[in-house]
Amino acid sequence: MSQYDLISDEALIEAVQRGDGDAAAHLYHRHIDRVHRICYRIVLDRSQVQDCVQEVWLKVYRNLGRFRCQRSFAAWLNSVTANTAIDYYRRSRRRPSRIDLDDSQVESLETEQQADERQVDDTTIRRRIQDALEEITVSQRTAFVLRYFEGMTLPEIARILGCREGTVRTHIRRCLLSLRAKLAVKLNQ
Amino acid sequence: MTNRYFSLEEFKALFPDRFESREEMLREYVSFLSVLDQLEETPVPDLSAREKAEIFRGSWRQQSYEWSRLWAWLAFIRRPAVAFALGLVLGCVLMAAALGHRIELVQPVAADQPLTIEHAGHTQTYTGKVIDDLYPQIENPKIVLERMDRSAPKRVLYGTINNGDIYVVWNL
Repeated sequence: MSQYDLISDEALIEAVQRGDGDAAAHLYHRHIDRVHRICYRIVLDRSQVQDCVQEVWLKVYRNLGRFRCQRSFAAWLNSVTANTAIDYYRRSRRRPSRIDLDDSQVESLETEQQADERQVDDTTIRRRIQDALEEITVSQRTAFVLRYFEGMTLPEIARILGCREGTVRTHIRRCLLSLRAKLAVKLNQ
Repeated sequence: MTNRYFSLEEFKALFPDRFESREEMLREYVSFLSVLDQLEETPVPDLSAREKAEIFRGSWRQQSYEWSRLWAWLAFIRRPAVAFALGLVLGCVLMAAALGHRIELVQPVAADQPLTIEHAGHTQTYTGKVIDDLYPQIENPKIVLERMDRSAPKRVLYGTINNGDIYVVWNL
């Protein structure tokens, strides 16, 4: 157990604001898993999540001076994380990701695809769930993830997304209906 | 596994007045629960210790670099010659503001007035683009409105034609 383990977030923040790198590392390790989880479920692309998480922490360190201790650090961090991930996802969707493949690579990919189609295993189901999540708008997905995976309340989500509680409820309802429709079709295929 | 946040009460609040019977509602609730179960069965892959360390190093170093650049700028500005020059510029701006002079960085653009009215005693003279458009055949037209006491106003159009050869005076 290190000297930082018993220190509150607020005390760590004050130390970080004075330039204490160890305090920054400890604050980071205390919250990194949650930040990563939220980013992953919003961005949905493993290759980009690390970059997105780094962007979140850069914003956190940059704006820590503006953080006021009247509000919980976790709530503030959730807000920064969700909004950064939404922006990151929207930016990454605008960037075209084109990969050039030669004929042999295409052939090998087709063979792999046929093999996958024959065997609906866990990986395939995961992939299909991922696809179903990708087809939902990022705001709907964020509201859904924050509610059912992070257990946030509707007013908290409304504050993070900058909308009304009714809108959050609509996002969640649409997301649930859409996921059920997509997963029922895809998993029965 | 059942999602602890997706209670029956929450479900009813999300889908009010949607079901005809309690049985139908429960059936639907269970089907949504199974969707959430499927989603929960796809865990988020953990970040390795190395990845975590890389992310921390990247973000902490970058913000430290930004701060160091800011301090470098501050150090530059605090050098006596730079501080003197900046003070001089700031002083000029404040002086100009205090004296009420605007510093014109862009030349004002002259715009054609659509209608100009000149008042002189009992007469008003109308010139401008509106009058030009009304009498396109007349060069430099102007309408003079003269209002004497108790009499009806007199309107006279002045101008020239034929490149100034003929002077026009027309009572309107």
